[in-house]
Amino acid sequence: METYTAQYNPAPVAQTDRIKTVDIIRGVALLGILLMNIPGFGFNWDGWYNILHGPHDTKDYNAMAIISIFFEGTMRGLFSMLFGVGMILFTQNKVELPGGPSVAEFYYRRLLWLVLFGLFNAFILLWFGDILYTYGLCGMVLYVFRKTNPKWLLVLGIACMAVVMFKKQLNWNETREQRRNYVEAVKAQKEKKELTGEQNAALTQWPGRENQKPDSAFMNRNLRTMQQGSYQNIFTYWIPKNVRFETFDVYDNWFWDGLAMMFVGMALFGLGFFSNRLSTSTYTMSLLIGYGLGIPISWIYFKQGSVVPAASLAHYVDSFRVNHELLYDIRRVLLSVGHASLILLIYRSKIVPWLMKALSNVGQMAFSNYLMQSIICTWFFFGYGFEFYGKLHFYQLYYVVFSVWVFQLIFSSVWLKYFRFGPFEWLWRSLTYWKKQPMKR
Amino acid sequence: MSITTAGPEPAPSVAISPIPRLFSLDVLRGIALLGILVISIWEFGGFSTNQQTRLKLLQKGLDYDLYATITILFEGKMRAIFSMVFGAGIILYLSKPHQPLTYTHEHYIRRQMWLIAFGLINVFVLLWPGDILFQYGVMGIFLFPFARLNKKALLIAMLITTLIYCGKIYWFYADDKKAFRKFTAVTLVEEKFKKDSSERHRKDSIAGMPKDTIRVRDSIAKKNDTLTIFQKRDKQSWEGILKGSKYDSTKAGEKAENKAMRSGYGEVWNHVLQRSQNKESRWLYQIGIWDIGSMMLLGMALLGFGFFDHRFTKGIYLLLAITGIIAGIMLGWLRIEYSHIKIVDYLKYMKGHVIPPNQFFPVERLLLATGYASLVMLLLRLNIMRWLGQALSATGQMAFTNYFIQTIFCTLFFYGYGFGYFGRLSLTRLYFFVAEVWMIQMVFSVIWLRYYKYGPVEWLWRRLINGKFFSNKKQEASLQ
Repeated sequence: METYTAQYNPAPVAQTDRIKTVDIIRGVALLGILLMNIPGFGFNWDGWYNILHGPHDTKDYNAMAIISIFFEGTMRGLFSMLFGVGMILFTQNKVELPGGPSVAEFYYRRLLWLVLFGLFNAFILLWFGDILYTYGLCGMVLYVFRKTNPKWLLVLGIACMAVVMFKKQLNWNETREQRRNYVEAVKAQKEKKELTGEQNAALTQWPGRENQKPDSAFMNRNLRTMQQGSYQNIFTYWIPKNVRFETFDVYDNWFWDGLAMMFVGMALFGLGFFSNRLSTSTYTMSLLIGYGLGIPISWIYFKQGSVVPAASLAHYVDSFRVNHELLYDIRRVLLSVGHASLILLIYRSKIVPWLMKALSNVGQMAFSNYLMQSIICTWFFFGYGFEFYGKLHFYQLYYVVFSVWVFQLIFSSVWLKYFRFGPFEWLWRSLTYWKKQPMKR
Repeated sequence: MSITTAGPEPAPSVAISPIPRLFSLDVLRGIALLGILVISIWEFGGFSTNQQTRLKLLQKGLDYDLYATITILFEGKMRAIFSMVFGAGIILYLSKPHQPLTYTHEHYIRRQMWLIAFGLINVFVLLWPGDILFQYGVMGIFLFPFARLNKKALLIAMLITTLIYCGKIYWFYADDKKAFRKFTAVTLVEEKFKKDSSERHRKDSIAGMPKDTIRVRDSIAKKNDTLTIFQKRDKQSWEGILKGSKYDSTKAGEKAENKAMRSGYGEVWNHVLQRSQNKESRWLYQIGIWDIGSMMLLGMALLGFGFFDHRFTKGIYLLLAITGIIAGIMLGWLRIEYSHIKIVDYLKYMKGHVIPPNQFFPVERLLLATGYASLVMLLLRLNIMRWLGQALSATGQMAFTNYFIQTIFCTLFFYGYGFGYFGRLSLTRLYFFVAEVWMIQMVFSVIWLRYYKYGPVEWLWRRLINGKFFSNKKQEASLQ
């Protein structure tokens, strides 16, 4: 059946066909993703709570505020957008030969491998925040929309966001009801009325919810395992968490999270946004709108949605019918567009061509770099490596981030001087086409 | 075929070609579709797991005989045949003649995605948490890249997935064992607390301490001797498992369930939400992929071997039928026997047995499903009971519609916003209901297909896939 192997060399996207700006933005997104991931790699969980609760004039608090306001979700957002773009490019650039597999077959093989790489990243490299698995699944939905026009893609993206918002609001309604029942039960108690079973339950339920202080036993165990555990310890420690993530969490949230941005990304690509086809004034405009609306909303999101409830959840629940979580996607679409516009404008102005070149190298081997971040960071922080888990302040984590960035920028540039693809890209391609791909330049 | 660029052309030169139909596949699909209700009626009608546990514990009576027979002959097997036929259908769909490959593939993916959408409607609008359309949609996409494998490779893939399925079942059992080991460790700690404290109490008394001091020291010790949160969790975890394995004579769970399912639409929606989501996420991830995937792969392989085209001799079909059914029943019987022991005392079971009662369920189901399919092929070859074959084939041809009709019938009959018979019918009566549904479905399918080409939902499905209207009437087709 496999007659295509001899004469047919299903060519990967040729160098000349690569859209440079897409690679650059992907590079930025890839590096930027570490901004949000680094606490997951190396910061004990109660740290978040302590920083939000503690005094607000510390370096840690400021670092957290800056990262949250400017970057939270945006880098993953950009990465997802470009994943959608990548799907379009992959399916566009393929030529089918009679008797050989169709584009769709290559495409779905590629995605199944991606899902497996995601499992590898989560269960073997032990990075619980893996997105490859989710991307693999989301990508399977995208295929039939590769020729949909941008307007409809935007509608689809918004629809996905609406699903997430709806779910978040349902959860919020439940929280508010818990609170309401509690208040009523307390009132009844004060009036010395006999409480119903439900009211008794409400009396314990809400305080449990309101007390957000992480349980020290859990935190200590987490710290001990991650900081001192062997590979085996951490491996078993993460299995149930990874399974939970890959089943319910992906189904409930991350799938929609990724899909929404992928649709938006495909729409923007269709409009020429990522391929540097719009005018400078358009990019300036999108920069101004993106940041102009995005930053204030993001600021409200952080201040009102994170800091206020951290201080008193009861007060927050009583004040807001709608949770600030609902702003999450709105703010990150705006900010992502702002970031991308900024990068494109810098690219156009030709101020730092060497940096752009380096970023485009990082973006070209984004897959390898993503897995490499897992490898480097787990080794640096986890117990079977250098045991830095929980030892750094929040702001100090960003020294690690900068080091990884510098390393990845240099490494990618050097690697691509000698090879055509990043190491994992090469493996992925070879698996997809089920044939060893040429590696050397 | 010339070289085509990626993506289907907007207006293909060829007409939408029909999927090649195989009579045998339609019959099998019809049987599986009707057979699925034999098991899903438990969940529709409120025959709770607790009642099942009671019967397994009791091991006698008419209800038990009925339950045991159905468990052995039907549980998982009908879904297996359904998956098998679906797998064969994948290959048939992808080998549509006279149509560019890209075009077929595009339609195939759309077909699966609409299936997922229909599944979501079945779950979240019609409120059937046991839906499998969603899972079939997803699995069809996962298996798409495997369709090109040759029949032997497919068979090997089927064996591997079946093995993984068995492995998964063992894994769950090993988890239970681990939970028990942790529990034992905690009980040792508790015993040590007790021993140490009585020892100290004795020494204090010998040393002649005043009674008040001893009392204070006792209470301090008691306060210090508390389990950590993890030890408590370990303890609860095993206790939960043990409780779940036993028959609950208070029937509290059932009562709550009945009450919720007999209420209005909104409450039922809320009540089944978690179960529905769990089925589409955790169940699919942990079990569904292997359960459905392995049988789909088998169907794909068997189609390649010509199993459904009568390319085997009668003798082979007979051999497959006899060995499959007998070996399957043996395994099923063992499963029931051992699960009785498990229910009586899970702890004792665990100490004495390396594997759980359902360890070979994937094999049991594989054997029985293959046996049944072979038997049906044999009967078709012998050409007996033609009318039944026709009726089943009609039912199978519009299986998608019939699947929805089952949901609609059963929810309206059992749930509170319908007649509210949930949990009110005995097992025997449930099967009278099933028989009624079967008859209605067969008659309806035969009549419908006399006038129309496809079942209504099938028609809608095809229309959505192709993106354009086409007439479903039979007369028009013959005029063209």
